[in-house]
Amino acid sequence: MKGKGKTKDLLIFALFVFPAVAFVLFSTDVPFLMNLYYSVFDWNGISKDMEFVGLQNFVNIFTNDALFWKSTAFTLKFSVFYVVIVNVLSLTVALVMAKEKKSSSVGRAFYYIPYIISLTAISLIWKFILGPGFEALYQVTGWEMFNWSWLGTAKLAFFVVVIMTVWQNLGFYMVNYIAGIIAVPKELIEAAKIDGANKFQVLRKVTVPLIMPAVSICMLTSLTFAFKLFDVIMVFTKGGPANSTISVAYNIYKEAFVNNRYGMATAKSLVFVVFVLIVTVIQLKVTKSKEVEA
Amino acid sequence: MKKASKISVLSIIVFICSIFWLMPLLLIFINSFKPYNDMLQEFLALPKSWSLNMYIETWTKFDFPLLIGNTLLYTICTVLIIALLAPMAAYKLARTKGKLSGVCFVLIIIPMMVPFQSYMITLTRLVANMGMTGSKIGYILVSTGLCMPLAVYMIHGFVKNVPIELEECACIDGASKVRTYFNIVLPLLKPILTTVVVLDTLATWNDIITNQLIVGGNAKAMNIQNALYMQFSAQTADWEHALPGIVMSMIPSLIFFVIMQKHIVGGITAGAVKG
Repeated sequence: MKGKGKTKDLLIFALFVFPAVAFVLFSTDVPFLMNLYYSVFDWNGISKDMEFVGLQNFVNIFTNDALFWKSTAFTLKFSVFYVVIVNVLSLTVALVMAKEKKSSSVGRAFYYIPYIISLTAISLIWKFILGPGFEALYQVTGWEMFNWSWLGTAKLAFFVVVIMTVWQNLGFYMVNYIAGIIAVPKELIEAAKIDGANKFQVLRKVTVPLIMPAVSICMLTSLTFAFKLFDVIMVFTKGGPANSTISVAYNIYKEAFVNNRYGMATAKSLVFVVFVLIVTVIQLKVTKSKEVEA
Repeated sequence: MKKASKISVLSIIVFICSIFWLMPLLLIFINSFKPYNDMLQEFLALPKSWSLNMYIETWTKFDFPLLIGNTLLYTICTVLIIALLAPMAAYKLARTKGKLSGVCFVLIIIPMMVPFQSYMITLTRLVANMGMTGSKIGYILVSTGLCMPLAVYMIHGFVKNVPIELEECACIDGASKVRTYFNIVLPLLKPILTTVVVLDTLATWNDIITNQLIVGGNAKAMNIQNALYMQFSAQTADWEHALPGIVMSMIPSLIFFVIMQKHIVGGITAGAVKG
């Protein structure tokens, strides 16, 4: 009797859980395992013969792949700019928006809208503005900056990518900061003011420590976003000009689909996973240690 | 007094910036009604006429009915499968203890820890091996699978706060487990389910990368984002058709945003823990 009930429980469990598991197995778990397998082969992705090369792919990444390190440098540089700019700006906007309650809902929506628009539209919009748009503005104003080749110069293209991603994603961080700021108890701020703290001191000593959970979420998501930067590059710059905006993830993609070096690409994917995990863990440790309870 | 005015200056700047923030979209909108020469000569001006000719031409020339139909089909299928399966799994996983349950939970949330970019190559490979490259079904399966982890994770967190007593009452009343779930538990999950549905609707409608990888250049199965990307991302774009196309592809997201604003914003903060 008891055994029968157990089988029935198991059946019900399977009915409820296995379909969802099957979807994830198919779309992620199995491909991830395939990654481990392919990474020890030299293979072009099409031909029947795969040559087992052991860890040679990994050795190649670290000793003989200048573009990979160039893309790593780009990704690190992008991460620094992106994380700092997007967090400073969105926190500033959030501090204002959280205080002005009535007038701010439209303003919030304005900042937020780019976040819900598809990347295709975003990248075409910026291509249009930097191309025909700037050309038109140059003819009207004669300002040299409108005549620069924003997507054709390595240095400028870097900033275009930073500005565009900040523009698109700021709303996301703003919303998270606003949620954090609203949760700060009013009494604490009042008490600090009565004790004679000025606005800046209140911000630094009361508000910021209390919104550390929001800060850690935003720092973490912005950092992992920057590390995983791929969609924007693939759709917008394609790594150009002259490979100056190739991110690590895009380098992996190109290795597989353009250079047809499948084994190498999967090996790089694994190195990339380790990078992202290390950064995530460090980041979590650092921000968690700074969190304070109200 | 002085400090108060300082803060309000910052407020004014932030509000003025919010209008600038929308500038790119406004510029696209007003220029989408102009012929190419007017875009170059009167970039900032309102169009001479608000004629919809270019919109109609783009609509038929690039087969928008098919593109929008495809994108709608993908969005509806993905969201329906998620809405059916994710809460079932999340509920059962939250209520069951033991090894099997733990393993299943880990299998489902692994994708939240490893970046998509690290397995997209082998995913494309797997889909190709199964002969589903370029097919609508293949795309729907992948798109659903990619939305599943966050959905299960969010609902799982929510279920933990749903009182277990309610289910016990139902059990004593003799309701079967499946009926208890659909009649008692599912209605209680409505708030979090709405959030999940809203997030996944936007994600699927706006998806380009997965559609690129799985469907590629198969014109019959492309979604609207992929088609716009393939048509207009060449060096010399045909802006007269591109701009109306962009505007038309954004309108559904914008309407959806206006209606669902509360849920979207709420959902973002709830889902933000995803790394």
